[in-house]
Amino acid sequence: MFIRAVQHNSELDTFRSEVRAFCKSELPAEVRRKQARGQHLEHHEYDAWLKRLGSRGWLTGKWPKGHGGLGWQPEQYLAFQEELGRAGAPPLISFGPTMAGPVIYTFGTPEQKNKYLNGIIRNDTWWCQGYSEPGAGSDLAGLKTRAVRDGDHYLVNGQKIWTSMAHWADMMFALVRTNPDAKKQEGISFLLIDMKSPGIVVRPIIGITLGHHLNEVFFENVRVPVENRIGEENKGWTYAKFLLANERVGNVDIARLESYLGQIRRLLDETKERGTALAEDPVFQRRMAELEVSFATVKALMADQLAAARTDGAPSLMGAAALKLRGSELQQAILQTGLDVLGRYGMVFQSDALYAGWNGELIGPEEAADVIYEHLYRRAATIYGGTSEVQKNIIAKGALGL
Amino acid sequence: MASFSAEERQLLHDSLHDFLKENYSFERWKKLARGPEMEGFGRAEWARYAELGWLGVALPESAGGAGGGMTELGIVMAGAGSHMVLEPLLGTVVLGAGAIEQAGTPQQRERLLPPIAAGKQLMAFCHAEPGAGYARNYVNAVARRDGSDFVIHGEKTFALGAHAADTLVVSARMGSEQGPVAFFLVPRTADGIRLNVAPALDGRRGAAVSLTGSKVTVDAKLGDADEDMLDVIDRLLDRGAISVCAEACGAMASVTQATVEYLKTRQQFGQLLSKFQVLQHRLVDMSVSCEEARAVVHAALQALDDNAPNAQRCVWIAKVQTARSARFIGSQGIQLHGGIGMTDELAIGHYYKRLTVCETLFGDGEWYLKQIATAASRDFLT
Repeated sequence: MFIRAVQHNSELDTFRSEVRAFCKSELPAEVRRKQARGQHLEHHEYDAWLKRLGSRGWLTGKWPKGHGGLGWQPEQYLAFQEELGRAGAPPLISFGPTMAGPVIYTFGTPEQKNKYLNGIIRNDTWWCQGYSEPGAGSDLAGLKTRAVRDGDHYLVNGQKIWTSMAHWADMMFALVRTNPDAKKQEGISFLLIDMKSPGIVVRPIIGITLGHHLNEVFFENVRVPVENRIGEENKGWTYAKFLLANERVGNVDIARLESYLGQIRRLLDETKERGTALAEDPVFQRRMAELEVSFATVKALMADQLAAARTDGAPSLMGAAALKLRGSELQQAILQTGLDVLGRYGMVFQSDALYAGWNGELIGPEEAADVIYEHLYRRAATIYGGTSEVQKNIIAKGALGL
Repeated sequence: MASFSAEERQLLHDSLHDFLKENYSFERWKKLARGPEMEGFGRAEWARYAELGWLGVALPESAGGAGGGMTELGIVMAGAGSHMVLEPLLGTVVLGAGAIEQAGTPQQRERLLPPIAAGKQLMAFCHAEPGAGYARNYVNAVARRDGSDFVIHGEKTFALGAHAADTLVVSARMGSEQGPVAFFLVPRTADGIRLNVAPALDGRRGAAVSLTGSKVTVDAKLGDADEDMLDVIDRLLDRGAISVCAEACGAMASVTQATVEYLKTRQQFGQLLSKFQVLQHRLVDMSVSCEEARAVVHAALQALDDNAPNAQRCVWIAKVQTARSARFIGSQGIQLHGGIGMTDELAIGHYYKRLTVCETLFGDGEWYLKQIATAASRDFLT
């Protein structure tokens, strides 16, 4: 349909002020200061802030009320994200609330829901995603990590890679091969794995950012209770795709985009060319206008997918693909604009300034190191969650019938 | 003034590639870039380049050089780019030697150029100032005459290689903020110089430089008249711009080749990635984009060597096209490698970073487009 029902603005305004007031009073000064400088947060700082949001139920506001969510309309979720971004709050983390949670409440047993959903709502549990493997990137269904039944356990052997935040995670949701003889999509199961299980080794991967965000995760005879399997054995690909659609909507992080735009506006104000602020340069004015148009478009696409998730239980695979495609391009375009400003400072990258305890002297604006870090890190925005090429294949096949 | 024959150019190109292939592996690169001395390059390598004649390739024979022109310098820079050579060619050979050649007196050239060709002198170009952006003629540093000395006060933004240079080439206005601009050769260790050393995006090091009453003798000023050097600065920055374009061309060729090779080995969906037509076309676009940049950079080098009236415009055009190509090839290099391209382990990410820096050094594509646009009517009439 061309249009869909939308939420009334006056309710949203009240909610927006509530979020603003919350951020003002609850965001610790130290976290706010680090965010302003783009400094990385310690795990405990991040955790404490997410727990505060969790205590209001806001991390999972868009979940249905029956599963412990607040049943937010798309507009409310977008408003929440925008306000977080504008308040300079740390970005949300989607592994629990956007990825694991909806799979568990949609396909999980009552016991699994009892055991895991509350931990996600309150951020008592940090999750990571065990999808990619060295030989299974774009061809995710080609994964080889093996799970063999051994009584009431699975014995898991294999390797995952590019696992963001595995070093902070309590739990992993993982795709494993339970039937090597079936067609590749039909031999996969979906397991919830305790990261403290014996036999799991997490090794850091240093990125082009020079930071540690990604990991390799090795499994050697890791015992996972059968009760940790989501849904049916060998039907994991169905749940995997459901999760991917949610992941791709979640990849478009409105709060983060909002906060990047704030950083770049500040850079344009601070940076002079022959003594005049770049904010007054028609080239940059036009580029900022282009970004505003793309951002509004992406938000509108997103609202559609959030609405689909409310009515159909999940975003559409094709709609999520389109949103992810454009959202990742927008993210890169915003950060490129920031980088184009920073060329004027010789592209200095004081990456050490992103970590607590650095006491060197900054060259150029305080946003610089963070914008460069994010620029480098988000080169992967068109890779993770399925490459842009994969998203286009999904749309070609699913939406256009090619 | 092309004094090299086509065969000699080919020989220069081949010897560069042979030497670097043999002696400048990515493993070696990592050691040099992150060595314990934190210089970010190799002094022994520099000495080898001097022996091989690279440092003097565009210097006159009287200075121990090979008498080549910009084209020969471009060949060296492209070779350096193909292996991400870390040593300070840009600061020393392109800009330092360029400043001495173009602004120095005959006596200064005779005295200062031979040590450069011999690898005994490292230089850094300290011209850009806070608030300048990419503007070329925004100089607020001042050098006041004090007896037989000049006393310099000023702030310079991040200058690549300033942390390790023997000599800083500093632009400053003589007498007052309204005075003519001149170049001064200032020892890095001179009194009143403070360096804030930092890495750039590509890991190469340099420093923001502040001068507070730094004293140099009168003969540290390049040239003997009090003429304004803004025209020389304009030519020097063109020389810098086209040199990083040449360097980027070398890097882009390496990225394209590495990506083609990788897609020929990586299997997904039961076949090699190189068999997917959409990826073949992407590789074709990378390859064509690489050739576009190379062709237009070559044309600009030729125009400079010929002293063509439109040489400057050719350089600007080359810089815009190189920026376009570098952005496309650099980012597609990572994209087509996928996750592995995002790691510090692989060269591809480091090429991306270097290309990003090359794109912006001496002005980015947007900035040169603006120069072309605003100079359009003038050039059209002449």
